[in-house]
Amino acid sequence: MEDASIIVLFLFVLFLLLGSGVWVGLSLIGVAWVGMELFTTRPVGDTMLTTIWSSSSSWTLTALPLFIWMGEILYRTRLSEDMFRGLSPWMKSLPGGLVHTNIVGCTVFAAVSGSSAATLTTVGKMSIPELRKRNYPEPMVIGTLAGAATLGLMIPPSLTLIVYGVTINESISKLFFAGIVPGLVLAAMFMSYVAIYSRVSRSWNPAEEPPMSFSERVANSRFLIPVVCLILVVIGSMYLGYATATEAAAFGVIGGLLLAAGQGSLNWKTFAQSLMGATRTSAMIALILAGAAFLSLSMGFTGLPRGLADLIAQWELSRFELLMVLLVFYIILGCFLDGISSVVLTMAVVEPMIRDAGIDLIWFGIFIVVVVEMAQITPPIGFNLFVLQGMTHHEMNFIAKSAIPMFMIMVLMVFVLIAVPDLATWLPDQMRQRP
Amino acid sequence: MTLVRRTLDWTYVAAGVLAACCLIAILGLIVIQMLARWTGEVFPGAPEYAGYFMAAASFLAFANALSRGSHIRVSIVLNALPPRGKRMLEIWCFAIGTVTAWYFVYFAVRFVYWSWRFNDISQGQDRTELWIPQSFVLAGAIIFAVALTDNLLNLIFKGEHRISRDQIEQGLGG
Repeated sequence: MEDASIIVLFLFVLFLLLGSGVWVGLSLIGVAWVGMELFTTRPVGDTMLTTIWSSSSSWTLTALPLFIWMGEILYRTRLSEDMFRGLSPWMKSLPGGLVHTNIVGCTVFAAVSGSSAATLTTVGKMSIPELRKRNYPEPMVIGTLAGAATLGLMIPPSLTLIVYGVTINESISKLFFAGIVPGLVLAAMFMSYVAIYSRVSRSWNPAEEPPMSFSERVANSRFLIPVVCLILVVIGSMYLGYATATEAAAFGVIGGLLLAAGQGSLNWKTFAQSLMGATRTSAMIALILAGAAFLSLSMGFTGLPRGLADLIAQWELSRFELLMVLLVFYIILGCFLDGISSVVLTMAVVEPMIRDAGIDLIWFGIFIVVVVEMAQITPPIGFNLFVLQGMTHHEMNFIAKSAIPMFMIMVLMVFVLIAVPDLATWLPDQMRQRP
Repeated sequence: MTLVRRTLDWTYVAAGVLAACCLIAILGLIVIQMLARWTGEVFPGAPEYAGYFMAAASFLAFANALSRGSHIRVSIVLNALPPRGKRMLEIWCFAIGTVTAWYFVYFAVRFVYWSWRFNDISQGQDRTELWIPQSFVLAGAIIFAVALTDNLLNLIFKGEHRISRDQIEQGLGG
């Protein structure tokens, strides 16, 4: 870093644009422009076009709109009702009872949707009123929903992981498989918490469920079978190496359409809505990615990433200490930025540090996703909290407080992930490579 | 005036619909490519074509996403300000956005022009003349820049922009 004051100016512009509310993608382009003008003599505009064109027209990116579309289609089906009806008979005898439908429901829907807000709405739409009717403690109902919905970011298909993979040029299927085991472990941790809480708490006296025979249970959950099949096809085809992430996403869209048609919820209106919704969401992410591509080029010229990596190396931080620094950094960043933006904004700077420290980039992808997941349930802009507020009309404080235990569990998850890195790296190593 | 208004709004929606068609085209291309692979055929250039449609889909939908409030921004400061301050800050945001977008358009015109002039051909198996897919990106960028300008002018002269926010939808990306 030759000139500290120019770096400061550069960072100031970054925070000024982002903080004042300029759209994230456009802010990144603006900051990148400033960086290029300050640090190089290259023709900035032409470089910008070449960079943005090659990043926007990349084949890996096509997985993104298709997975979004798949989620949008299923979001508009009857899945919400089916999920509660199908899961509740099996969950009621567990300690913690039907609260588990929140967690398992979110886990299942997370496997067809890459977004946590969609997961939250789909599962919560049905489970909140049903659980309230049965007198489950309200903070539990809301807290578990807020926490478990973040699994949408971790369990494949995950939009954040696609964006991360595109940003650092790693295999998206590998990242997807890295997310599965930690996602399930996190879900199991949420469920254990519910089970323990139900035994310890005094205010726990939900209404008894009527007994149900085994065949009745199966009959109730038969509507879930198509969804489970769809999940198996999408994930299995990637795992066995039959399909790339994009191709699996295409299976997902077609499967989703068939499933919606099968239940009679597919008509022109839902089709058009899902398609237009997917188009807009993917355009939103594409704008951020376009800005990020230009910014990471510009960052390279500023020398900031290299300088920071050297600085970190000078401090001789251990791997653990470095990860702790990043953990705190991302939690703070997550208070102001959404997950996807914080990933793309920081990767240009963070990647060299991670490589220097010898940290596996696939593993780090899962780490970063858990950390940005936490941001979804912390105020002031935790998105899941807003969605829940819209659904339940509670005070923001109440919702945020209900989510605190889930936040703590996620922090615990980060340490588990650091202690047992194999959780993330084992499954992708087992994947069959396509010939 | 209403004619201008209607034409503009229609253009944003139309570009969005065209973008949606590009998504369907991506889906179609990938399915055809898979079928080709399973039957032992080769479909040269499918990844490149899908990439072009991806770029077109993104850029054409920018304006539509803007008018539906899908683009993410940090709104903490905006929401904390009183109406007058909020309006000033909104003007600043749209002004920055407008300038950035037109700057992009200016260089995009040159970019496409030189591709066409030098007859740039894709390095992949598709051998596409690159100015064709690039023009869709240019068109999308122009419509986006117009949409930003449109909102900026509305904000200055009528006191409010024309973005309708849908909170749930905005969250679907995160």
